[in-house]
Amino acid sequence: MLQNSPKIGHSPHVVTLDVRPQLLDALSALRDSVAAARFPLPLAGAPRARANRDELLAQLDDYLVPRLREPEAPLLAVVGGSTGAGKSTLVNSLVGRRVSEAGVLRPTTRTPVLVCHPEDHHWFSGMRVLPDLTRVWVPHQDAGEDLLLPGEDPARVLRVETADTMPRGLALLDAPDIDSLIADNRVLAAELVCAADIWVMVTTAARYADAVPWHLLRTAKEYDATLVTVLDRVPHQVVSEVSRQYGALLTKAGLGDVPRFTVPELPESAWGSGLLPATAVASLRTWLVHLAQDPAARQQAMARTANGMLDSLKTRLPELAGAAAAQYAAALRLTNAVEGAYDSEHARVRGRLQAGAVLAGDALKRWRAFPLDCSAGELLDALVESLATLLLCAVTAADERIREAWGREPAALAPELTEHEPALESAEDRIGMAVRRWRRELEEYAEEEVRDLDRNVAPDPEVVAVLVTTALLGGRRARSAGEGLAERIGAHGALRLRDRGGRLLTEHLDRVMHTERERRLAPLDALEIHPEPQAELIAALSVLQKER
Amino acid sequence: MTAVTDEDHTGRAEHPEESAKGLPGADGAAKHEPVEREAGVRDKGGHARIVDGATTRRTDSTSAWDDGLIARRATEENTGSEHVPVVETRALSVQPAVPLTYDRPLRSRLDALRELVGLSRTRLDGQTLAEAGRVLDESAARRRLSGQHTVVAIAGATGSGKSQLFNALAGVPISETGVRRPTTATPIACSWSDGAASLIERLGIPPRLRRRPLQNPETEAQLRGLVLVDLPDHDSAAVQHREQVDRVLALVDAVIWVVDPEKYADAILHERYLRPMAGHAEVMFVVLNQTDRLPGEATHQVLDDLRRLLDEDGIALGEYGDPGATVLALSALTGDGVGELREALGQFVAERGAPARRISADLDAAAAELRPLYAARRRTGMSEEARDEFSARLADAVGASAAGEAAERAWLRNANRACGTPWLRLWRWYRDRSEPTTGRVPLPTQTDEEVTARQRVEQAVRTLADRASTGLPAPWAQAVREAAVRGSHGLPEALDELAVRAGLPPGRPPRPGWWPLAVMAQVSMTILQVVGGLWLLGQIIGFMAPNLGVPVLLMAAGIIGGPIVEWSCRMAARGPARRYGTDAERRLREAAAGCGRARVLDPVAAELLRYREVREQYGRVTGVKTGLR
Repeated sequence: MLQNSPKIGHSPHVVTLDVRPQLLDALSALRDSVAAARFPLPLAGAPRARANRDELLAQLDDYLVPRLREPEAPLLAVVGGSTGAGKSTLVNSLVGRRVSEAGVLRPTTRTPVLVCHPEDHHWFSGMRVLPDLTRVWVPHQDAGEDLLLPGEDPARVLRVETADTMPRGLALLDAPDIDSLIADNRVLAAELVCAADIWVMVTTAARYADAVPWHLLRTAKEYDATLVTVLDRVPHQVVSEVSRQYGALLTKAGLGDVPRFTVPELPESAWGSGLLPATAVASLRTWLVHLAQDPAARQQAMARTANGMLDSLKTRLPELAGAAAAQYAAALRLTNAVEGAYDSEHARVRGRLQAGAVLAGDALKRWRAFPLDCSAGELLDALVESLATLLLCAVTAADERIREAWGREPAALAPELTEHEPALESAEDRIGMAVRRWRRELEEYAEEEVRDLDRNVAPDPEVVAVLVTTALLGGRRARSAGEGLAERIGAHGALRLRDRGGRLLTEHLDRVMHTERERRLAPLDALEIHPEPQAELIAALSVLQKER
Repeated sequence: MTAVTDEDHTGRAEHPEESAKGLPGADGAAKHEPVEREAGVRDKGGHARIVDGATTRRTDSTSAWDDGLIARRATEENTGSEHVPVVETRALSVQPAVPLTYDRPLRSRLDALRELVGLSRTRLDGQTLAEAGRVLDESAARRRLSGQHTVVAIAGATGSGKSQLFNALAGVPISETGVRRPTTATPIACSWSDGAASLIERLGIPPRLRRRPLQNPETEAQLRGLVLVDLPDHDSAAVQHREQVDRVLALVDAVIWVVDPEKYADAILHERYLRPMAGHAEVMFVVLNQTDRLPGEATHQVLDDLRRLLDEDGIALGEYGDPGATVLALSALTGDGVGELREALGQFVAERGAPARRISADLDAAAAELRPLYAARRRTGMSEEARDEFSARLADAVGASAAGEAAERAWLRNANRACGTPWLRLWRWYRDRSEPTTGRVPLPTQTDEEVTARQRVEQAVRTLADRASTGLPAPWAQAVREAAVRGSHGLPEALDELAVRAGLPPGRPPRPGWWPLAVMAQVSMTILQVVGGLWLLGQIIGFMAPNLGVPVLLMAAGIIGGPIVEWSCRMAARGPARRYGTDAERRLREAAAGCGRARVLDPVAAELLRYREVREQYGRVTGVKTGLR
């Protein structure tokens, strides 16, 4: 969609909106950075940020980029409003033919309908605007039947109709309800409204004070879009009063200068039977046609919406950047919690190793019985098992700390983070394997040490291994093990062996803790929350500001 | 005649004849009399008799009423005449209405909820229990107020015609209607009979906004006991309207939702109100207003669509006699269908079940909200295996099995040494001397610090806590974990102490009875060898007569017998040695398990029991009879 087309700016039509290729480049860079921003952590502002991002992306893809690229394309007027406001009836009446289904059951319009002049059809049949909606092209005589191919999502389809009665250079789009019960419809309606050059807001005598349409009006004001409001279905008796009050409300909201059209409630307007008389919508039609065909007016309407959108980026991008920063901060807090927990447990384990905590319980009893009532192998087994327990204990304690710390973080509720359940068995297995490996390597060291000694006085390598293990793990209470070791292989050899074994132990301990920590952090890392999106968004915005 | 401001809350008896209205036992016809008098619709004929009847009745009760009490006027009517004698005491009470009574199941459910809240206070924060507390407060507050009245609110979107319907039901334009949106800004109440002042008070509606309906005998009888409240809209840009609606909706007994053909599918109505209130279907009317704007057949279509939407919201529809929401189509403007609604309302009000049903639905909603805090996902509690495993881990931590093994081997070693042939012992002694000492501490009786493996204890407690709290709702799982951790403080130290106490006494292990015999046999074998040897020696040096057979035999017997005795002793010692070892192990194991039970298992079990108690209480709140695990 976004590759630069060489035709930009060389259109034969009158181009007065100041569009330079640099601006388009800046815009597509900005679009990419918006698309790259993700908000996976369930922070307070995240759903809003996600919605904002999607909306912004839709606006850029559906409206701003295509509009700036091809300013000569027909204007798109999107008719939006609450359910039952008579949008479809209004569109039908403007076209002069039933193009959109109207009816008493709500919501009526489930598939958006775009109406344009036959010669403008090529602008909309392609994927220039609203690229993620499937086009359905139906000859009008079939209208009203089931138009969808099986398996097509009715919410993601755009029906394109042509009518000779439409002026050239203008397309009308009948959007679904902005307050539909069907949530997808609501999203689609917002997306469609955002794709408009001209926002036609339809409300009724019964609705003009509703909160939802007012929200949309305020959004239109915020974006400074070319806006027109239609007060539909006004009973004859109260036309002037309602109209006056609506006008007062609009003025109060700072929208007093918005063109306002009133359509009375006629029996036809009610229920589906069809079209309003041309006189009822004549003024609106004239206004729209004037907008489409008078170059100056057209230019102004288009430029206003486009500039409004560009201006709105100034506030919306920093908002997104702020949300991205919040995500990163939360991710950082989570990471810190994990690292802090593992670091402190690591320190604790080291301290306990030095204190000889491994030589306790079973291992201590066996050590006391060694060598008379206990073999070297048994003692070694007990020691290794005790060491494995110490490490496992540290890992689970760290996990518990993390759970506690994450319990205070709303961000930790992300499904990606909660679904992984740290399988204790596998941690036990991993630690057991690491410890056994350490033992094997230590036994090899002991054998090497013994091999160098004189054959006659050489002690059993297993005894040497168990003595060095005890000396390494037993701390102060295993002093006699060190003495025994020195007696057997000499003070020098004993020192060397203990040194190597100790280094090996530290290495393995570090590796175990590191592996477990990384495993714990893996799901968080998989979310790929980096500080870059924030900076990129701001940078893209400033580039855009410069290019305007 | 326009609506009169209902001033009965003031308690002033300005219109003496009106007091007859509150007279107990007044039959239907008599009840209308003062109304008519005041309304001035006094047509002659049939009505005259009624007036007379009422007058006589009034004179009958004059003595009872002529005591100057002013509070009486507010006492509302009773259903049966047998209540007449009680009136006097009731009249004295400040409370004007017969308080509402809830039926037994609902009462017990409310009691259970109260107890549940009490039990959970220490575990759950106030925010979580706020809704339950609110339900309790509201039920208590509603219970103190009139049970003869049903407060029905009319709610809906702006422009749906709430006020119009309100006026149509009241028969007089009480509530301002208009095209200006939003029209109604504050709730207005209209009471069809007296005694509802305190109810309206509770809704926070000031006296100036309380009205009386058009005095019409027919509707009066039909809607007796009805208090209708017209609410502001819930969907306009005026936020304070929504706040008013939310506040009042929480207090009323029933709601009439007014929708119109234009707005019946609004997301805000369905998502914000109808779906969360789906449990309140029984105290809900959904009325499609403005049918006059729809052409012929369309009304049915829209009504069917409305029913479908309500069904999707999860609201039970009261069709074919099922309990559920009543759905009607009407036009307040033309009066079409209003009669039906009036009839349905009349029946609804006459049943007088709405307040209790509303409270019951509130209770259901509160219970459903609390469900994740009480309901376990699976069977909870500590299994036997978990307990056993915990004990086993503690035993490992004190080294019970290693101690047992060491004791067994030491015993066996001692036995072998004692029963071994002296020559073997000599050899062993020699070997021991030649070898360098091993790492063995020379004094095995030296006491150690921190005998218990801390990490094993910690791990055991953590595993137990995890197992016991699996499947428990978070607060209770936390409680179990805390209990386990609290219990584990000082556990390693206790185990240290215990290992010393329950461990084997230092010194040599005890000897079995046959030991001296074995030693004697070994000695005699040695003596045989020596005697045989000496004999042979004597013969060799010629000191004795040469007789090879006997001494050789003797010596051979000694040489062969010694190892045989040693071997058989070793075989015989196996059993006692094992017994001695297992005994040592068992003593440690039991001591450790006992310590663990007292310090950790019991508190955890107590915490689990507390949870089960709460769970059962919750079961009672939801109305399930059987206790759940």
